[in-house]
Amino acid sequence: MTDFLEVKDLTMRFGGLTAVDSLSFKVAHGSIHGLIGPNGAGKTTTFNMISGFYKPTEGQVLLRGEDISGLQMHEVARRGVVRTFQHSTLFAELTVLENALVGTHMPFRPNIFAAIIGWDREDRSGAEARAKEALEFFGLDHVMQERVGDLSHGHQRALGMAVAYASHPDVILLDEPFTGMNPEETRQMMDLMERLKADGITILIVEHDMQAIMGLCDTITCMSFGKFLAEGGPQEIRNHPAVIEAYLGGARHVA
Amino acid sequence: MPKFLIWVAVLAALIALPHGLSFSQQEILVFLTINVLLVASYRLLTLTGEWSLAHVVIMGVGAYSSALLTKKLGVYVPVSMLLGGVVAALIAVLLSFPLFRMKGFYFLIGSFAAGEIIRLLWKRFRDPFGGAKGIKGIDPMPDFSIGFYQFDFFEPTSYYYFAGVIVAFCLWILWRIEKSPVGLTFHAVHWQDKLAQASGVNVRAYRTLAFAIASGFAGISGALLAHYVGTINPNAFDIDLMVFVLTWAIVGGTATFYGPILGCVVLTVLNEIVLRELGLEQMRPLVYGAIMILSILFLPNGLESIVQKLTKRRAAKSAPERSPAE
Amino acid sequence: MLDLLAQTGLNAVYAASYISLVAVGLVLIFGVMGVINFAHGELFMAGAYAIVALYAGLNVPFFLAVAVGLLFVGCLGLLMERALFRPLKDNPLGGLVASIGFLMILQALAVMGFGVRMVHIPPVTQEVIAFSDKVRLPVARLYVIIAAIVLLSALWYFLKRTRFGWALRASAQDPEAAALQGISITQTARIAMFIGAGLAGIAGALTAPLVSVNPHMGHSVIVTAFIVIIVGGVGSLEGAIVASVAYALVHTFVTTFWDGVLADIVGLSLMLVVLIVKPTGLFGSADRA
Repeated sequence: MTDFLEVKDLTMRFGGLTAVDSLSFKVAHGSIHGLIGPNGAGKTTTFNMISGFYKPTEGQVLLRGEDISGLQMHEVARRGVVRTFQHSTLFAELTVLENALVGTHMPFRPNIFAAIIGWDREDRSGAEARAKEALEFFGLDHVMQERVGDLSHGHQRALGMAVAYASHPDVILLDEPFTGMNPEETRQMMDLMERLKADGITILIVEHDMQAIMGLCDTITCMSFGKFLAEGGPQEIRNHPAVIEAYLGGARHVA
Repeated sequence: MPKFLIWVAVLAALIALPHGLSFSQQEILVFLTINVLLVASYRLLTLTGEWSLAHVVIMGVGAYSSALLTKKLGVYVPVSMLLGGVVAALIAVLLSFPLFRMKGFYFLIGSFAAGEIIRLLWKRFRDPFGGAKGIKGIDPMPDFSIGFYQFDFFEPTSYYYFAGVIVAFCLWILWRIEKSPVGLTFHAVHWQDKLAQASGVNVRAYRTLAFAIASGFAGISGALLAHYVGTINPNAFDIDLMVFVLTWAIVGGTATFYGPILGCVVLTVLNEIVLRELGLEQMRPLVYGAIMILSILFLPNGLESIVQKLTKRRAAKSAPERSPAE
Repeated sequence: MLDLLAQTGLNAVYAASYISLVAVGLVLIFGVMGVINFAHGELFMAGAYAIVALYAGLNVPFFLAVAVGLLFVGCLGLLMERALFRPLKDNPLGGLVASIGFLMILQALAVMGFGVRMVHIPPVTQEVIAFSDKVRLPVARLYVIIAAIVLLSALWYFLKRTRFGWALRASAQDPEAAALQGISITQTARIAMFIGAGLAGIAGALTAPLVSVNPHMGHSVIVTAFIVIIVGGVGSLEGAIVASVAYALVHTFVTTFWDGVLADIVGLSLMLVVLIVKPTGLFGSADRA
């Protein structure tokens, strides 16, 4: 496993507030990497900087050695780093298949002139095949023609990942994927992530709930108050005194 | 093949249509044909979720460009029409730089300001735009014959056929775009620009693309108008016409391709034919305004929602419904 | 030259007065109802025609006619609120279209009642305050300036010092929270519409003897008002007043020293620049619309 995605001295300031303070960690290729921390630790801000949603105040995000920080979200996506959104952010007015088709935008880039003349049949069928493949992968093929607004919550979460998966990403960034899921849904979602990993996709999960991702991650980075706190395997992190302190302290802080 | 037969019947009806009309009604028919293209191109712009108030001025850009190209440079008329569309699209690309910093209400107002500035520039600069009086004596489309039919472009019927063919072709292109992956991406940009971006869509580029295409076709419609009436001036492209376009689109409904066209045809027929026939000359805007209010109150999803109810079988598969507001 | 500058300055103050009356009404309606009232220029026009009908037609005393005009246009506002904006409150674009429909109706009524041509109104007073040979302020214009100062001060007091005003501002900021506080949204909407329309009406009534009254006079008024509320920041009453003064100064000076069309171009460009620099307006927040 080589260093694949690297966060280096990443800093984000909002006015006088330093949300993330020179954070550094490395994500190995093909691994499932967790980024955890108590509320307000700056996880989501970090996530948004990696995905190109925010431009970092200082520091770098390196993908295969290339600095991608400060690029726009679609430029980051085109380099193979695709994110999902915390709440079921989907095209609610479109069908499930159409949502997945939007996900195939990168591998099958639409061309307007070809589309008018009708010379894009191969691309269209390729995109549809890929979209269906992604939906099958996430067990959504039976609801393909339904409108997303009519889907159950669990299905919407799965579709969010299917849209990301449809674009053949190298890295999927997941923003709190287990929030609001019951244990059964959580278990299924974990299975899907294992399968994504088996597919060679690197996964970075941002999660508040430490227990949820213990069994899943290869490596976990823990941060607190915007700073790097600890890193290691699940067992290591679970027993790390600083992590325990941060979570207990964080809990006290929040309460 | 019943569907094929329906299309043949529609085509036959459209060809026969002008022969049952009076001269002034034939003229209205020509304007209606041009306006159908105008409003259909406007719909393409609204696909990305932006409502512009500059569309009619952009139409005017096409009209002025085509008129000036023929008058000053002697460009052959049909070619100049195409170039008028190209110029309109280019101007739209230029306008997109300031305008696409804005969204929603601010885009609406910003586009209005940009459009008015262009219109006032025509008004102020007599050379080459002719000032407030505009450009007169624009070359008409040269007559020609296709064997069985002799086109005489001083006849509205001839121009109706000519414009009809061009408009039909443009509508076909617009329809192809909407049904293509590009059209799907426009929808995506409208409904969740963040998610679209995360899927690798360059949102700004797609907004600009929709704006440029819509403007290009608006420009062609303007050129069609200019070479028919032979004279254009800044007031022909003012906010009044823009308001009509807006109401055609909203009263017709913007969830389907045919909605705005339906709105345009129904409201124009109502306004120009029915109300005129009833002899309500001065009261026409009053009745028209009342109809607008009633339709927005009682048909919030537009005239197309009636059609969708009538053809429910197909409606289940057709484009999704939505409210036009953000 | 100094005289010309002073005279142009006076003209600008007059223009700022009626522009701010119209713009403040528009902002108030937008703030409370979240809808762009395209018919606002026609409310101005309706106020002017009230003078045509009452003062020029029936010889009603001018100020009585103005008061009746204010009430009449205020009631038009109430009508719009009840018939258009309340049913369409979840559909801002629908509200916009409905207000365009209302605009056409008002215009048609004016044409049917008074003809398309502009109407001559006998002057209210010929008196002129002469500061020097060349710097003169007609008293009729002074009325407009005084009315603007008095009404806008009264409005300011009403909004900041009374319970109604508090309710109005609360529901402009957050309708749901305001409703939880026991504020009747319908009630505040009615008040806002009445005041907003009434201000446009009185501006139209007072300026009627000074301008050419015709059914399409609302057009340039609404364009000006839009520029002003954008430059001032949508939703900000103070911003609208400041922007009215700034716009009136720029527009009047450019008109005097160059020409009117160029002044319009400059005004619109000003607005475009504001939108480009700060795409959500100078003071305004983008959460409505």
